Amino acid sequence: MTRLVWMIGGAQGAGVDTSATIFGNAVAKAGYYLFGSREYYSNIKGRHSYFEVVISEKPVRSLSSYTNILATFDAESVFQHFTEVRDYLIYDIGVENTSVDLVKSMEPEMAEQVKDELKKNNLGFTIKDVLQYLKNRGVKVIGLNYAELMKKIADTLKVPLSVVDRAKNMITVGASYGLLGLKFDYLKAAIASAFSNEFFVKLNTLAAELGYNAVPNVYNLKEYKIEKPRIQVDGNTLSALGKIAGGLRFQTYYPITPAADESVYIEANQNVDIITEGNELRKAGIVVLQTEDELAAINAAVGAALTGVRAATATSGPGFSLMVEGISYAGMNEVPVVITYYMRGAPATGMPTRSGQADLKFALNAGHGEFPRIVIASGDHIEIFWDAIWALNLAEKYQTPVIHLIEKTLAHSYSVFDEDELKNKPYVIERGKIVKPTSEYFNRFEITEDGISPRAFLGDAGMYYSGEEHNEEGHTTENSINRMKMYEKRMKKLETADREIPEEQRVNIAGDLDSDIVLLTWGSPKGAVLEAMEELQKEGIKTMMVQVKMFNPYPARLMKKLLSGKSKIIAVENNYQAQGAEVLAEKTGIFATNFILKWTGRPITREEVIEGVKKIVQNNERRVVAYGGA
Amino acid sequence: MAARKPVWNDWCPGCGNFGILRAEELAIRELGLDPKKVVVVSGIGCHGKLPMFLHNSLPVGGVYVLHGRSIAVATGIKLANPSLEVIVNVGDGDGLGIGMGHFVHLGRRNIDMTVLVHDNGVYALTKGQASPTLHRGEKTKSLPKPNIMDAVNPIAVALAAGYTFVARGYAYDVPHLKELIKAAIKHRGSAFIDILQPCPTYNDVNTKEWYDKRIYKLETTGWDPVVRKEEEAQKKIEQALLKSYEWGEKIPIGIFYQNELVPTFDDRITMNIPNYKDFYPAKQPIEVNGISNVKLDDLLKAKRI
Repeated sequence: MTRLVWMIGGAQGAGVDTSATIFGNAVAKAGYYLFGSREYYSNIKGRHSYFEVVISEKPVRSLSSYTNILATFDAESVFQHFTEVRDYLIYDIGVENTSVDLVKSMEPEMAEQVKDELKKNNLGFTIKDVLQYLKNRGVKVIGLNYAELMKKIADTLKVPLSVVDRAKNMITVGASYGLLGLKFDYLKAAIASAFSNEFFVKLNTLAAELGYNAVPNVYNLKEYKIEKPRIQVDGNTLSALGKIAGGLRFQTYYPITPAADESVYIEANQNVDIITEGNELRKAGIVVLQTEDELAAINAAVGAALTGVRAATATSGPGFSLMVEGISYAGMNEVPVVITYYMRGAPATGMPTRSGQADLKFALNAGHGEFPRIVIASGDHIEIFWDAIWALNLAEKYQTPVIHLIEKTLAHSYSVFDEDELKNKPYVIERGKIVKPTSEYFNRFEITEDGISPRAFLGDAGMYYSGEEHNEEGHTTENSINRMKMYEKRMKKLETADREIPEEQRVNIAGDLDSDIVLLTWGSPKGAVLEAMEELQKEGIKTMMVQVKMFNPYPARLMKKLLSGKSKIIAVENNYQAQGAEVLAEKTGIFATNFILKWTGRPITREEVIEGVKKIVQNNERRVVAYGGA
Repeated sequence: MAARKPVWNDWCPGCGNFGILRAEELAIRELGLDPKKVVVVSGIGCHGKLPMFLHNSLPVGGVYVLHGRSIAVATGIKLANPSLEVIVNVGDGDGLGIGMGHFVHLGRRNIDMTVLVHDNGVYALTKGQASPTLHRGEKTKSLPKPNIMDAVNPIAVALAAGYTFVARGYAYDVPHLKELIKAAIKHRGSAFIDILQPCPTYNDVNTKEWYDKRIYKLETTGWDPVVRKEEEAQKKIEQALLKSYEWGEKIPIGIFYQNELVPTFDDRITMNIPNYKDFYPAKQPIEVNGISNVKLDDLLKAKRI
């Protein structure tokens, strides 16, 4: 089976993202599945960004610590990634004499690391030295004369060089694509669909063609016929699509990385097709409101939800911090509202464009007081879509806030997968207890056996909501007996949810269930864990994976059943404390025995999991810390 | 009307809130609004209980929210269901202190709803600290020292923020306030009334006697607040701004500025969602027999490789 890793690097604003999307699209057209991930700085232009794409005939779920091909058109990308290249480096011969110290955009810590590595190998600090380093390791280097190629394009199209500069990245794409040995037609088609402007199509196609013709076919990749439609989608968009499918009609947001793209996508596509009961197609408009801050975002979503509309917001750590009081209000007033929480590098501003899993316990505990809240976490792109629908249903069924955790790693990466994965089940809508009041006044907070009160909407009758403790009418009361009963009624909803939601839906299990080694994870490391397990099995190390999808209500009974008596429970998480394992201990009394942790803000790779498991199983290490990736 | 046991009104005797409550109730009744289609929102502070007390006599929707967030919640309610008449009560600390951000941004949107500021100069429920509308140098009875912060000018802020109906009322003149509230509700766009409200318990400076001596009605001076042509808007805002700084021996109440020529937020949403006004979110079904009515086909097709 093919597993080929391609990476492109370049300055932010130089078209790295577009390059990777076009490259991926072309390879996907040739019948391959992909997983592509973007790494970048909190910067608009100039800082180093890169995109890694993993290619295979089978669906891909993880990133790697290495790259087979490193495609570059500047010096910095070579310096940043040369230690990761296995097969080919494509570079600009015009930068051969550039030394590390001349690359001003590179952080001093990185420059030192590069110099240390070169020094260790008795080399100098220029690109030429890096080329030598690579040759010593059997990596082939392909120098392109970008200046000459660009001049050729300028002459052919009769445009100034400054215009051609915008297509420099496409020479790199063409060359690296050429190595694969796939037909140029696919790349041509990918370019045509990426640009609407005819001139840009022409310019980029010519650039790609020159790159393509400058390299030999080395990988000789086979083409595969695509039997069923496949799509190329990122995590932000999948969350948006899930919400749209799930009946979302009101979304609020305040711009924040890495959450904003979700809301922008919904707004761009806000007039959605619906089928009426009479089987007619019509448009339904989703209101998307960009608010003044996250305080307004959560509270406006709450207001919309009170009118019976499925309402949600999307944010990241700093914004979620501001929403906390509003979530407590939604808990007290039993308001169905979904908060899509994109975790990024924290605390404080942290690393806004990097990832992390350090906010799990915050999401579980945010908001003063005790109230039921449901917390789910998606492990891959397809899960994000279905979980977004699930979140909207849970919110209405249990009349309480639902927090959907997604990480930057999944938000800003894309997968190519079968479209059918998003269509193979109906989009079930469960709205819970909704009634049409018949009298003037409606008691919104009726005390019931399961804790869930019949719900009517503002506009249906006189009703009352209050952030203060209230009676069945919603009116303020501080009476002890009422307090006891109303409090209990709210909390009971969590018990009801725990009883009703099958525990099997709250946990994903894979691998050899009899194995004594459990990889305990949640969120985006799922993909790396699953693919590491396949490799480990080849080496005779049998493992099983337990991925927690719902942290509240926690699937405690099933977790006890799965984990009791296992000698090695290895927590794999993108944080320092292994928060998922801490929740396990709190809820079941079972402790993780070992840890593979990474808190650099970069995703954990397949190889890091493999190495980690080996160190634990073979060398008896207790805690392995990974830190790969520039 | 109400079959339920009324909630006892626990405001201090003589509180200005009684006048605001009465004026609000009368305005809703006299306009002939269907109470269940009226949503009265409030924040935290003495004013916050107003919807609950109003609920004693009218089966309105009442939403008593967090400190400072009533405009945000009201925004969600109104945009999801524009058929509802939304009246927002905020305190001066609630609306102009902790909630000032939302107050300003409502003006930018010109959402068709009404904001009533209960303006008494103090944080009464926490025993009388200075609110954002207490003037510098004033020392109400709980303050250990005279106030060293300047007062915000609510009328000027509202004008600068873009409110298209800006007025000031007085809690002890219920007939006048009632008419202002009716005009504000009828106004198409974001309407704001700064309601001067003596606090008999904690504000011993701006008392009823203090206000009674100073207040006069703009409409008795030939004041014309209404913008009838777009070219007039600038001039009318300028005159209203100037007027808003009149505070001392004379304090004007009445409508400072009104402009219905500015597109409301539902007009603006309609530019993006053509059928929004008759098929707004609260009116849209989301399922048929338990299955989503949404067709994703076109959106997925756009993502095909």
